[in-house]
Amino acid sequence: MDSALIEQIVNEVLKALNSTPGEEKKKEPAAKCGEKLGVDDYPLIQRRKDLIKTNTGKGIDDINIENVMNGSIKPEDIKITADVLLYQAQIAEAVGRVQFARNLRRAAELTAVPDERVLEIYNALRPYRSTREELLAIAEELENKYGAVMNAALVREAAEVYEKRGRLRA
Amino acid sequence: MKRSKRFEVLESRDVNKDGFVKDWPEVGLIAVGSPNDPKPGIKIENGKVVEMDGKKREDFDFIDIFIADHAINLENAEKYMSMDSLEIARMLVDINVPREEIIKITTSITPAKIVEVVDKLNVVEMMMALQKMRARKRPSNQCHITNVKDNPILIAADAAEAALRGFDEMETTVGIVRYAPFNALALLIGAQTGRGGVLTQCALEEATELRLGMMGYTSYAETISVYGTEQVFVDGDDTPWSKSFLASAYASRGLKMRFTSGTGSEVQMGYAEGKSMLYLEARCIMITKGAGVQGLQNGSISCIGVPGAVSGGIRAVLAENLITTMLDLEVASGNDQTFTHSQIRKTARTMMQFLPGTDFIFSGYSAVPNYDNMFAGSNFDSDDYDDYLVLQRDLKVDGGLRPVKEEEVIAIRNRAAKALQAVFKELGLPAITDEEVEAATYAHGSKDVPDRVVVEDLKAAQDLIKKGKTGLDIVKALYKGGYDDIAVRVLNMLKQRVAGDYLHTSSIFDRDFNVITAVNNPNDYMGPGTGYRLEGARWEEIKNINTALDPNRM
Amino acid sequence: MINTLSNDELIEMIAQEVLKQLNAKGGNEIPQREKSCENKTCSGTTSGKMELLNKGEAAVGKRSDEVVVAIGPAFGISQTKTIIDIPHDEVLREVLAGIEEEGISARVIRVLHTSDVAFISHTAAKLSGSGIGIGIQSKGTTVIHQKDLEPLNNLELFPQAPLIDLETYRAIGKNAAKYAKGESPDPVPVRNDQMARPRYQAKAAVLHIKETEHVVPNAKPVEIQVVFK
Repeated sequence: MDSALIEQIVNEVLKALNSTPGEEKKKEPAAKCGEKLGVDDYPLIQRRKDLIKTNTGKGIDDINIENVMNGSIKPEDIKITADVLLYQAQIAEAVGRVQFARNLRRAAELTAVPDERVLEIYNALRPYRSTREELLAIAEELENKYGAVMNAALVREAAEVYEKRGRLRA
Repeated sequence: MKRSKRFEVLESRDVNKDGFVKDWPEVGLIAVGSPNDPKPGIKIENGKVVEMDGKKREDFDFIDIFIADHAINLENAEKYMSMDSLEIARMLVDINVPREEIIKITTSITPAKIVEVVDKLNVVEMMMALQKMRARKRPSNQCHITNVKDNPILIAADAAEAALRGFDEMETTVGIVRYAPFNALALLIGAQTGRGGVLTQCALEEATELRLGMMGYTSYAETISVYGTEQVFVDGDDTPWSKSFLASAYASRGLKMRFTSGTGSEVQMGYAEGKSMLYLEARCIMITKGAGVQGLQNGSISCIGVPGAVSGGIRAVLAENLITTMLDLEVASGNDQTFTHSQIRKTARTMMQFLPGTDFIFSGYSAVPNYDNMFAGSNFDSDDYDDYLVLQRDLKVDGGLRPVKEEEVIAIRNRAAKALQAVFKELGLPAITDEEVEAATYAHGSKDVPDRVVVEDLKAAQDLIKKGKTGLDIVKALYKGGYDDIAVRVLNMLKQRVAGDYLHTSSIFDRDFNVITAVNNPNDYMGPGTGYRLEGARWEEIKNINTALDPNRM
Repeated sequence: MINTLSNDELIEMIAQEVLKQLNAKGGNEIPQREKSCENKTCSGTTSGKMELLNKGEAAVGKRSDEVVVAIGPAFGISQTKTIIDIPHDEVLREVLAGIEEEGISARVIRVLHTSDVAFISHTAAKLSGSGIGIGIQSKGTTVIHQKDLEPLNNLELFPQAPLIDLETYRAIGKNAAKYAKGESPDPVPVRNDQMARPRYQAKAAVLHIKETEHVVPNAKPVEIQVVFK
């Protein structure tokens, strides 16, 4: 049996699942109803293992050498999930790190965006790479295709500033 | 003129080989207090900054816009801006004022204001402040592992030794860019052979660095440079927005990252707008804060020759480390580049961070001889190990290193080289011979190892990326090669990404993969008897250098 | 062993520069001579044993067997030697000879819109018919670039200008030509001297500031005819 092929198919399916333009799943996860995590929950890997699931629904302890060797751990399993990033953002907020928490929340959104696209968008945000329209189209894509609202706002803000400061592609 | 023999002797001293220049404020060749630096001030209307440091919003460049909109906590900004800078400066050195209280103030003020505050301090006061303000309670250290041949076997052996010697983070880079995947792979395997939990990175062009991280070859990144003037930022091929996006991109893959900046880069790159180095650096630090990055590598870094050449430059370098901690950021505090020929001067410069302790005292102690240091040399290198151990012991200071025995170093270097040999074999990379393993085991540096066929290595290194070989493939190769324990450690590094605990401020891991950060190990220094104290087993370890004689055996 | 510059010389050089700066009326204004260079009637400059003739705006090359060599805004004009005093005409002669001995043709352009070596060399690569370019700053820092790479990436980078001698410049030209032919040459051996920074960084900063003063924002690269004398 061709395991590479199976892996590829699984990845494709996962990709498809991740990129569903579902908005509802963007809701803040909560350990219990209304609970926000704090310093006492940190580190999650020791104190809140129950909250950590991989992209394919495995627990953190399923990431072990046996499962790697028997092929049940895939590259998708060693990627952080949006939920875990949002939990970490709550902990960051609990210790007063507002900007850092915001970064983690933007990161949670980006977990849905494939590696290649992330790299492309980063390069598109560099000076003189994009026109205003191109940046706005990226913002649309981030918002509509990936539900990445905060990132879309960041890109729109960049488009505005780049225009004002002459940093768009001529 | 008939020459004075004394002057002739002085002239030949090492310090006089260094380059010094007089201040030249018009182009920004001045450490602190250029006449062109703005005066502190802020005006907020409807929750928006309309004026900052003497500039109206319509005149803001993109850095001003970014700082005003993202970096400053506006809620109490006007109140804290109206505080006397001298009063804030005194709070920094007052042991009765806790860190948290100062953070509230210092995260709510402008770049010009924060510079005015730290400029009230002399270096001893700055060190007192740094001791209190650094985020993590336990100090730590980072090293550079590189060589001029980009020899991967040597990188693995050097990394293993460095891990044994106590470094918690390791950074490599390349002579030839296309070697990057090999260097990162060799560093990862070497470090995890030395001890589990060491964080590793490979300094590269931004997008390439992120790709290696995504693929699992590195566990953090640091060379994400930011600059204090708009023109230099653009020459660095980025903006605060592209860098913010990059920051989130790293976190979204579970990778720790910090930015890099440093005094002197703007004047070095030709566009300092006549502003002082420290003022421009304060802007960089605030960009880092605004982007939501957990930490910053600063302390002039690769431009250290510039502040090092002007008056008060080394004090400004300490000041920039301090400002970083005042913004509640992790600081990896430089000391990572040669700036002087003088052994006296180089040691004095490092004491500024060594004595108070920082999150990473060096952001690159060269764990290889400086001739192999591809960051163009660090302030301390592997030939200085014993001096450094003695400094720790003399002053009872934890500089992050520990004494080691020759036989254990040889053993660990050999094991790392062999593990890499096995991985190369499993992954079908150009073979590593037993002769190469032997040479790397006993080498002082790359002069002692045979040359490899560079073109073949470069092709194979690029193929690793093209074929999409990930961290999991490395784990499998180690396991199949019979290095189960190292395989488990590399896997543990990957596992940590899923939990994301080490994304938090000032993270390191101990050998059992327990994360230690500013969240669970916050600095609580409030004078004698508080904060980090070097004692117990750790002090015993530092005391016992190899050359200390045992009176009982004399 | 590389040439070294004593502190006295360095201080004197900087002092002169400060004086020049103070004497200049407008701080950041582009010197008049440079402005006229932007319009294409400017005939060029003579530097040591070479003449650099401006031939108008540089175009994208059509020949796949060429390497474009881009020089910085001040190269051969206000600065005529590298940080270790190698004359610019010799630098260019060696680079061009290195390219030509591989049977590849070389085209020289001057980049005016930036003094950053990454962007100078990337501009060269983008205008090169083969996609391979070399960028040389006046202080001597050099990069071999390829047009499809990000600007801050490179094929080969020679960041420590004080270590680049004429032999290395020739090898750089030769390797760039080999990349243009689609070969994978052994990279020019990397050199490293940890004491280059303490000795040269302040001087490098001054030289770079001087070159940057000759940057003309938005100016197009200019085709240069090199006449060695």
